[in-house]
Amino acid sequence: MAPPLVRIKGVEKSFGSTPVLRGVDLDVAAGEVVVLIGASGSGKTTLLRCINALETYDAGSIQVDGVEIGYDGQAPGRRARGDAALSKLRADIGMVFQQFNLFPHLNARDNVALGLRKTRGMAKAAARDLAERWLNRVGLAEKFDSLPIQLSGGQQQRVGIARAVAMEPKLLLLDEITSALDPELVGEVLTVVRDLAEEGMTMVVVTHEMSFARDVGDRVIFMEAGRIAVEGPPDEVLSHPTHDRLRQFLARIELRRPEETS
Amino acid sequence: MLAAFSALPFLWQGFLVTLQVAALVVALSLVAGLALGAVMLYGPVWARWPVRLFTDAIRVIPLLVLIFFIYYGSSPLGMPLSPFWAGTLALALFKTGHIVEITRGAVGSIHPGQMDAARAIGLAFPGRMIWVILPQALRRFLPPWLNAVVDSVKGSALVSLLGVVELMQSIQQVIGRTYEPLPLYMLGALIYFAVNFALSQTSRALERRFAYIRE
Repeated sequence: MAPPLVRIKGVEKSFGSTPVLRGVDLDVAAGEVVVLIGASGSGKTTLLRCINALETYDAGSIQVDGVEIGYDGQAPGRRARGDAALSKLRADIGMVFQQFNLFPHLNARDNVALGLRKTRGMAKAAARDLAERWLNRVGLAEKFDSLPIQLSGGQQQRVGIARAVAMEPKLLLLDEITSALDPELVGEVLTVVRDLAEEGMTMVVVTHEMSFARDVGDRVIFMEAGRIAVEGPPDEVLSHPTHDRLRQFLARIELRRPEETS
Repeated sequence: MLAAFSALPFLWQGFLVTLQVAALVVALSLVAGLALGAVMLYGPVWARWPVRLFTDAIRVIPLLVLIFFIYYGSSPLGMPLSPFWAGTLALALFKTGHIVEITRGAVGSIHPGQMDAARAIGLAFPGRMIWVILPQALRRFLPPWLNAVVDSVKGSALVSLLGVVELMQSIQQVIGRTYEPLPLYMLGALIYFAVNFALSQTSRALERRFAYIRE
């Protein structure tokens, strides 16, 4: 069997004196879609941000494609990677954000093309073509020249996805990408993600959309207080939960938002 | 009334000095303010303290005190300054304090998610600044900065107190000869108004143009 694309071992992190990750172990195989669920504060978003080095981790190891993300060398005595090294690693890891974080001064095409040009070093015309191809793919053929503020939330998020996948990342991280959307716009974004999953994109997804987790996830991870509490196939974890806190969590979610039928 | 017209060439000379003072103040404070603002934003902690001390001190010292302090202080300190340069330098220092704050506000008010998104597409720090942060910061910087420019033009009148013959001082000299304060002060107000109104309209137009930036 091929080694896992993502290998997380004993990762710990604190914000000041507050521990947020208390020893997380997780492997993600190439082509796998792993869904992280859990209450806010359980550490799932922090874990996701650590994988992309947007946060540092204090202990443990995160390897993507065999390369340690945050540090150079072996613990103990390993050195935190500098900005240039981190940037290189991040270029191969895509991320889509809850608040979209599109660049407001650039139109949809340039939002997607920026990384292609400045990180991948593509020529202007080639970057432009590729950006337009990806915007087409996510159903925004009419919106190349639109500024983010001229787009709906769902459209903005699809630009966000196009911006991430156009870089052809080895791994895609999705951080609650539908949480800031009106309910009727959630479907259009999830359809795009579902397509990517079917094409074999490796993804780690933080979400509160349980139907989506069940639908697209190969594995569901329930995090609690900075640890992985439950892990297993979606059907087993979501439909037949045995863990008490997971049951409470799922009950709260169902109450707050009836299952979408998308 | 007639005196006001016959004095126009003389006032014009004064006006040119006003513009000179204002232009120097704007240029010096822009360079120093941006540099110190960058230190405040990204500099090492030990370097931020003196900058903060400077901006706080500038905020609480009356501009007039600063002008006199630099003029009368420059000789004992061994590098005497002409009234023109003492006044200009004092104004520039004063403005620098503002520009530091404007710079810090313009960059600091950009949502941290922008930096995250720029990191996520693999941009290193210089790229993140050039392609993502600064274009947005510029739009936030320009309107308050143009207000600071207006302030510099107005503030330049204060160097008349050191005897520099700029617009204000030349108006007073004409009044000293003609004893017609009202028309001359009106003329002076009109000139300041014309310059500053144009500037503040530009500032307003810029704000409208950049309205698409959220929040």
